[in-house]
This record gives sequence, C-alpha cells and structure tokens, in this order.
Amino acid sequence: MLSVDISKFLRADGPDKVTGSGRYSADISLTGMAHAKFLYAGVASARITTLDTAAAKAIPGVFAVLTQADVPDIRFGSVADRYLFAKDVVRFEGEVVAAVAAVDADTAQRAVDAIVFEYDALPVVNDIEAALEPDAPLVHEDWESYSARRIVMDRNIASQTILTLGDADAALADADLVIEGRYIADASHAAPIEPRGVVAQWEGDKVTIWTSSQVPFQARDGVCETLELPTNRVRIIVPHLGGGFGGKCGFHYEAHIAALARAARRPVRLVFSRREEFLAPDRRREGMIVELTTGLRSDGTIAARKARILLDYGAYSSDATFFPHMAAMHALGPYKIDNVYAESSAVYTNRQPSGSVRAPTAPQACWALETHTDELAAAVGMDPVAFRRLNGVDTGASGVSGQVFDAIGLQECITLATEDVGYGDVLPGDEAIGVAIGWWPSFPGASGAYVKLDSDGKGVIVTGAQECGTGAVMTLPYLVANELGMQPEDFELVYQDTSAAPYDVGATGSQTLLNNGIATIEASYQIASRLREIAASMLEAEADDIVLENGHAHVDGSPDTAIPIARLARRANHTGMLIGKGARIAPPDPKTSISAIGDQGVSSFAGPQFSCHAVRVKLDRDTGVARVLAVSAAHDSGTIVNPIGAAGQVEGGVLMGIGQALTERTEYDDKGRQVNPALLDYKLQTFADAPPISVQFVEVFTPDMGPHGAKAIAEAPNVATAAAISNALGKLVGLPMRELPMTSERVWRAIQAVGS
Amino acid sequence: MTFTLASSLEEALDAVAAGATPIAGGTDLVVAARGGRTPLPESLVAIDRIPGLDTVTTHEGGLRLGATVSHATIASHPDIVRYFAGLADGSALVGSPATRNVGTIGGNVMNASPAMDTGAPLVVLGASVELASVAGTRVVTVDDLWTAPGVTSASSDELCTAVLLPAQPENSASAYVRLEYRRAMEIAVVGAATRVVLDGDGAVTSVDLALTAVAPTILRVTALDVAGSSIAAAADAAREAASMQATPISDIRASDSYRRHTVGIMAGRAVEAAAGRAAGEQISVPVNRAFGIGAPA
Ligand SMILES: Cc1cc2nc3c(=O)[nH]c(=O)nc-3n(C[C@H](O)[C@H](O)[C@H](O)COP(=O)(O)OP(=O)(O)OC[C@H]3O[C@@H](n4cnc5c(N)ncnc54)[C@H](O)[C@@H]3O)c2cc1C
Repeated sequence: MLSVDISKFLRADGPDKVTGSGRYSADISLTGMAHAKFLYAGVASARITTLDTAAAKAIPGVFAVLTQADVPDIRFGSVADRYLFAKDVVRFEGEVVAAVAAVDADTAQRAVDAIVFEYDALPVVNDIEAALEPDAPLVHEDWESYSARRIVMDRNIASQTILTLGDADAALADADLVIEGRYIADASHAAPIEPRGVVAQWEGDKVTIWTSSQVPFQARDGVCETLELPTNRVRIIVPHLGGGFGGKCGFHYEAHIAALARAARRPVRLVFSRREEFLAPDRRREGMIVELTTGLRSDGTIAARKARILLDYGAYSSDATFFPHMAAMHALGPYKIDNVYAESSAVYTNRQPSGSVRAPTAPQACWALETHTDELAAAVGMDPVAFRRLNGVDTGASGVSGQVFDAIGLQECITLATEDVGYGDVLPGDEAIGVAIGWWPSFPGASGAYVKLDSDGKGVIVTGAQECGTGAVMTLPYLVANELGMQPEDFELVYQDTSAAPYDVGATGSQTLLNNGIATIEASYQIASRLREIAASMLEAEADDIVLENGHAHVDGSPDTAIPIARLARRANHTGMLIGKGARIAPPDPKTSISAIGDQGVSSFAGPQFSCHAVRVKLDRDTGVARVLAVSAAHDSGTIVNPIGAAGQVEGGVLMGIGQALTERTEYDDKGRQVNPALLDYKLQTFADAPPISVQFVEVFTPDMGPHGAKAIAEAPNVATAAAISNALGKLVGLPMRELPMTSERVWRAIQAVGS
Repeated sequence: MTFTLASSLEEALDAVAAGATPIAGGTDLVVAARGGRTPLPESLVAIDRIPGLDTVTTHEGGLRLGATVSHATIASHPDIVRYFAGLADGSALVGSPATRNVGTIGGNVMNASPAMDTGAPLVVLGASVELASVAGTRVVTVDDLWTAPGVTSASSDELCTAVLLPAQPENSASAYVRLEYRRAMEIAVVGAATRVVLDGDGAVTSVDLALTAVAPTILRVTALDVAGSSIAAAADAAREAASMQATPISDIRASDSYRRHTVGIMAGRAVEAAAGRAAGEQISVPVNRAFGIGAPA
C-alpha cells in the first residue's frame, strides 16, 4: 500500500529507549536546580483552618513555599471547579495544598512536614448512589456558580447526558421478553511505567517546561490560563515519555512547578514517586454502575434498550464531562436498535478525579453490555455469537444513535475472531470461550506539521504531535518518505516542543497518526511539487510528468535520466527552499437522529472502529483463579498503515484488558482513601501472564478519515477484552459476572453461590 | 550513614557487633526503605561479596546453603531440586528473574515475613539456620527462629551464615504450592508446603505440613495423623487440617474466609505433588506451573 517498506518498521526512538541512552523528564538536570515536593491533603474532605508556611520557609535550603495565596486567583477545569492549590477546602486526599522548592529532595520534604496544616473534617462523599440522595452532603457547595455551559449539572451530578431515540418504553411494553441486569465496575488506573517528572526554568519572562505530558499543547494552555501568560512565553518540551495510557493527558503540575521556579529564582524539578502517581493526578478510570433493560422479540432481535449509568467522577472536573455520554453509547452498543433511552450521570465524590484513560468508559460499559448480551442470547435460546451477528451493525445499517454506517467490518471481525479461537470446539470441562464485540470512534481534529528538506537532501519533520509510546509519530517518516520517493532514514523528527511546531491535540483519543499523518502528508506534497518543478526545469519536462523514486527524480517513462533529490535540494536553496506545511481540517461528523440532553458531542462516531475479541479461559474452580489461555482479536480500523505498530496496539490493549478483567482495581477505604496505591497490590498483568494474542485486521478503506484510508487504532483494542473474559467465566461458573474486576475471590464466591 | 563492604565473615561479624545491619540482595531492605515502611538503617554492612558465603555444600548427609545463595541457584541446583524439591518450588516463585538472581535465602529467612516462600518448605524439611556472632556460632531450627511478623529469635549482633537441610527419609519428597493471582511479581496469597513419606506399598507413612500467609509466622500444622492412609485420604486430611488451623486475616489481597478455604486447597495439592514425587513421578519445579495453580503449566 505504501511504496516505502514498512513491513520492518524501525522506530527512530527505539535505540534510545532500548539502550537506556534516552532522556526522560526525571533525567533533566539543570545548573542550580532545586527540588520540589508537595504537601497533599491526606484527607478526602475537610475545611482548612490553618495553613502556615513560616516554619517551612525558615528551614535553610528552602527557596520557596507556595500555596493558593501565592498564585493568581483563577478557577480552571472544564466547569472551572478547581484551583491550582486547595483553597479553603480539600476535596480529595491527593489534592495539592502547598509546594516547596529546596536545595534537595530531603530538605524539601522536611519543609513540607514543617508546614502547619490543620483542618476540620467534613463528611466524605464516597458512594455514587448515596451521593444522589436528597440530603447527601455536596462535594461542591458552589456548584451553581460554575461555568457549566453545555454541561448539565445538578448538585452532586457533575455532568449528565440523556439520550432518546424512538420510544423505548412503548417498545419494551410490546417486547416478547424483557431482561434486566445490573453491573458494577471498580475504579482502576492507567499506571504508566514512568512516574511523571516536571522541570521548569525561567529566562526573563519566558518559561520552558519539560514535562511527562501526553498533551503538551493542553499543558501549555493550562499554564497560560492559571498563571496568566500568553502562549508564546510558555514553551513545553516533552523528553521521551515513559507511557501514559491517558494518565498523562490533561494539564497537571506544569503550572505549580513554573510558579515554584519563578518564586525560587532557579530551575525546579518535580519527580513523582509511584505512590504519588497513583494518588494525585486527576486521571483515573472511573468506577461505574450500569443498569440495563433490554426488550427482545421472539425472533431474537432487539426491540428496545434502556440504560441507567452512574460514573464516579471524583472531586473535580478534568476532561471527564463527556464520560456520561460516551458511557451511554457503549452501554447501548454497536447494535441495531431503534428504541433507546439512556440516562447517564457522572457523580462528584471525594475521590481522585476521573479522567481519560485509554478508551475512557468503554471497557467497563462494554463489559456490562456484553455480559448482558450473553444473558439475552441465553434468554431467547440463541448461540451468543449468532445473536451478535443478528443484532450487530453492518454496512448500511442504522445504529443506536440513528447513525447509518458506511462500509464497516464488524461482521467480518466476528467471523475472523471466532474462527481463529476455535469457537465451537470441544474443550476440557474447566475451559470455555467467551466472545464480545466493541466499538470506538476515531477523532479527526486539528493537527499541524512542517517538513523541510535541507541542501543536502536530508529532511526534518517538525510536528506538533506527541509520541506516547505507540509509534504513531515514529510512523511519520515513512509517510513522508513515501510521498517523496525517499527513505524514512532520510528524515529526523523534531517533536514534542510547543514552540517549534504547530498545534496538535496530543497523544489522546488515538488521534496522532489519524490527524498528524494527514498534516505531514500535506506538507510533503508541497515539497514534492517544488522538487518536481525544479526537476522539470532541469529535464525540460512538465512538472506533472516527474516521478520521485529511489531518492531521484526522473521523467515518467525515462528512469535512466534521473537526478538525485540531493541535487534538486541544493538548487532549491536559491529558488525558494523546500518547506512544506500541513494542517488537518476535520470533516463534519456523520449525521445522527438521536436526541441528546447534555450533549457532549459523541452520539456520532466518526470513522467508527469495530472489534471482536474471543478468548479461551481456564478456570480453577477450587480457587476461582482464572487464566486466559488464548486471545483472538479482530479489528476494523480501516486501512492498516503500519502493521507492526497496529498489531502492537492490539496486543497491548488486550493485555491491559486482561488486567482490567481479572486483577486491576483501586480500592477505597470508608474515608475515601486509596487502599492500594502501589504496584504490589494494584496488580497489572506481567509478561509471564501474557497469553498468545492473535491479531487480525479487516481492512475497510475509509475515506476522509486517516492517511490512506485508515481509521484510528490505539484505544479500540482496549474495549472488548474484559467483556469476552466475562462471558467465558459466565459459562464456566454458570452465572453472569456482575462485578469488575472478576477477581479470583469474586469468581470463587460466584461458584459458591451456584453450588448452594 | 555508613556502608561497609565486607570482604570476610570476620569483618561482617565485627560490623554487626558494632551495630551495623546486614544487607545481602537488598530486595527486602531497600524496597521497604523506599516504600517508606522502614527507614534505611544508619549503618549497613554488605555481605553479598563475602567469598564462600554463596556456596552449596554437602553437610551430614544433607546440604548446607550459604546465606547468600540466591533463589535462582536454589531453583536450579540439581541436588536441591532432587532431594529438597519443595524448597526449589518456593525459590522458583520468588518475584521475577531479577529478584531471584539478587535475593538470597539468608535474606528471605531473616526478613521473617509470614508470606515468605521458602519458609513453609524449610519447616517441613526440618531445616535449621546457623547463626554466628563474634562470640561464636549456634544452630536454631526454623520453627524456633520466627517469633512474630518480621521478628526472629536471632540477636542483632548475629548473622545468619547458613541454612542447613538435613538428610531426608527414604521414600519421601516435598512440594510447595501457593495461590497467586499472576505469574510473576506476586506475593503468596496463601501457600502450603508438605513433606510426604511413603511406605513401600505406596501408602502414606507421614505428612508434614506448613502454611504460608495464614498466621503471624509460618504455621506448622499439628496432629496430622495419616499413617497408613491412601494419598487421597492424606490430601483430604491435609486440606481439612490446614483450613482448620489457619488463622488468616482479611486484607486487600483476600478475605479471611477465602484464605482459609484456599489454604486447604493448596495443602491438598501440595500433598498430591509431594506424594507423586515420592513415588518417582517427574513433577517439575515449581509445582505451581506443573499443576496449574492459578496458571496451567
Ligand atoms: C519485586 C519483588 C518480589 C518479591 N517476591 C517475593 C516472593 O515471591 N516471595 C518471597 O518470599 N519474597 C519475595 N520478595 C522478597 C525478597 O526478595 C526475598 O525475601 C529475598 O529472599 C530477600 O533476600 P535479600 O538478600 O534481598 O534480603 P535483604 O533485603 O538484603 O535483607 C532482608 C532482611 O534480612 C536481613 N539479612 C539479610 N541477610 C542476612 C543474614 N545473612 N543474616 C542476618 N540478617 C540478614 C537484612 O538485614 C534485612 O533485614 C520479593 C521482593 C521484591 C523486591
């Protein structure tokens, strides 16, 4: 598909990362640099009575101690419900109350300990259902004064979306069979391998901030908003990023450290411990309660579905205001249903704020829906795969929001995944196969890049895009080389620097290659046409007849008279240079016919991706310990531009899904504090646990979306795995799973419940 | 803070006599300090480079494991795998390859965690530790060593210099299994080790049973009288006795009732594995992988 050979994709950042020569934020060390430590609330809900920093400031070696009194009095966040530092009250244990910069980390910690911080405890809102009671304490007393704009808020409801298509109540009344289910998912974490680091240095009135961010432009905008600076005086640079999974999306501590560096009059560095990485950032996969009611006709088709969803929003708004809408779309699912109603609410609690973690809301909502779907199939006496084939969307069908789908490959995904896993084979009594389908949108959006060729014919791609480890940015040289008849190695990347490159949303929403790929290709077109003009004048031909190939230009049909691109480039310096620029302009969203109150813009799935995951699971019935033996994952993500990169995304998404299914959860005590903010007891899957994962793509060319007909890829693989595992366990236990994660003890208790 | 790199046992004994804390692999000590649980001691003496302290030698018909023998060595040492398989089972489950290469038997034993993976196997194998100080050397059975979570009967000026494994009875073998939620970087939710002695006809002569992570210290199960019974009956008895005698707590990893149930399951499986080995069956180390406890082989 590309004329460049991408079958042996070599990442330009690979050697740095593999050999250890790469630099991450925590590796940055500047002359005279001070070290930062934060004072955290340590309590989930309280009114501050004393906050006295005098003793801390008096410690030798302490350069600055800041609280909200020392920074602009600005509220920020999507509904402007928070300050940089706690003001008057604290609303979750990881809220930053004060920050210290000192000569070394130990001194900074001593100063933190010397801050006098006293408070009166307030009631803790720790349960999303109790939070909706009329007499429940309010997490934000002032919620009515917030700038909700298009967001529906009501007391502890931070954001609510209500979706209506057709008449669900009437259709349920007419249905032959009505099935209800309630599913509860615990909160979890992104848990990137690199705890974040932030370094800030002022030069005059300009600040440079090195930070572990997935979204440098958003981080910059957060600094500008909270410290009242214009964008051109704040430069964000991201050194290598040690993973993110959404946990490093948004604006976090860049402004705190910039403010500290200004006050300390020297560069300041913050490096998080693993514990801080768990407790403090406003990023966590939210806990969720999903109640589903589905009406079936006797032929097995779905007549109607109602969903009631509650999401644990945490104490403040990060980017999670769209979660209720997105969760509702996933609880309704990639099915043909004409009558739907969903009421979905994100509920303020005195817990760490929730925010986008890879495919936000989808793994939990898909788990609930797909567990429910196996129950539906059983109720009408159908095989669960046949039930999904019958009810799942296909090309030309209308989905739950009334969106009519262009060419899509969900049905082929079901075929490929189930055949590959051996669905229907006779298995040992302690094994079963579970199947689930999922979907996820692509997010076309603003994104820019420059490309230049210098006089020796070597190129540089200057992109606003951020590499979070997926290899999306590392794919750009292949796209550019493909347009220019050159090799990927001919290009270096300048990236993750807000002052060097044009805007990009960041490594969020699987949008990097989708959007920046378009921008870089557009930039290379401009260079290609300049090269053709120069070659045309040298070869006395028409520019349109010039072919760029193998590092040379020649007239179509006369490959023997070829001019090296390096020679053209040398010439170009005197005739206007080889500089290209590109910017993605997003196409309009596909039409829908659903009504949305509290519309957060995700009823329509642009470039919708579909997947089917089929898993073979073995269960030790004596202990409830489950093990995934094999996973077959089939995806429609449009054209696959980079097969190695795309397969890596699916493998990683599946493994993360296994963790969500079986072992990953964040537990809270009755005071709203995390019980397990550490990797020993927050159990990620390890390589020793990884089963064979077979990846297949249904390549449906998708126009007007990503480069060469691609859709997005990075989040979709994280949607359906937990659901498929749930369905395998449901078969083995004889009861549908109702709680996520499906820990060994929970599974064992379900087995006991069946037995008694 | 002082850090002494001991190049001889004498040097190390002098250092601990002067108040230094020994550090071997550091996989407990450093991790605990960084996790904020126990501050790093003011004075440390590294014992991992003392010549000869990391060797496995024969001793009174059994084996003597120097204190700094690593888990990786134990898990693959032919004599340990052959005659003391339960201990190899335990060491093979510790952490990750990196943890096993660095972590030592002396550190595991002296750290005295109730969840330690070599503890239950050492109990059923009748192991002792050799404790040395500038004043001399004494030998203490592991049952007498562990007194409370993280506490041993050794005094602060004593170093563990070796773990002693006595010769095992004829027709006997051992095994250790643990409940784990994942296959690496795990801590025992519960675990059980047994040594099974068979008579010439394949019936059971005796079963020793010890349990991991269900009491303040490794728990030796008592009054397990199974002489003459079949292996299946002995496994049943072990299951029942383990669940009865365990005194587990509830925490983030498991509830007390789940621990009480699963420790019985582990005990039964350990008996089956040890009996199989005693009967000459090849069951590879660790039993967890061979048996598929939380994970098929
Ligand atoms: C990632 C990870 C996973 C782990 N997984 C497991 C597991 O699965 N199972 C398990 O049982 N353990 C596990 N551990 C704990 C640890 O690795 C083992 O207990 C190991 O055997 C400790 O040995 P060490 O040499 O590193 O001890 P160190 O940390 O050096 O010492 C531990 C303690 O013993 C003392 N000590 C050490 N040597 C002596 C001696 N010769 N004489 C007197 N005192 C001494 C030290 O002063 C210290 O108090 C894990 C640790 C990590 C970091």
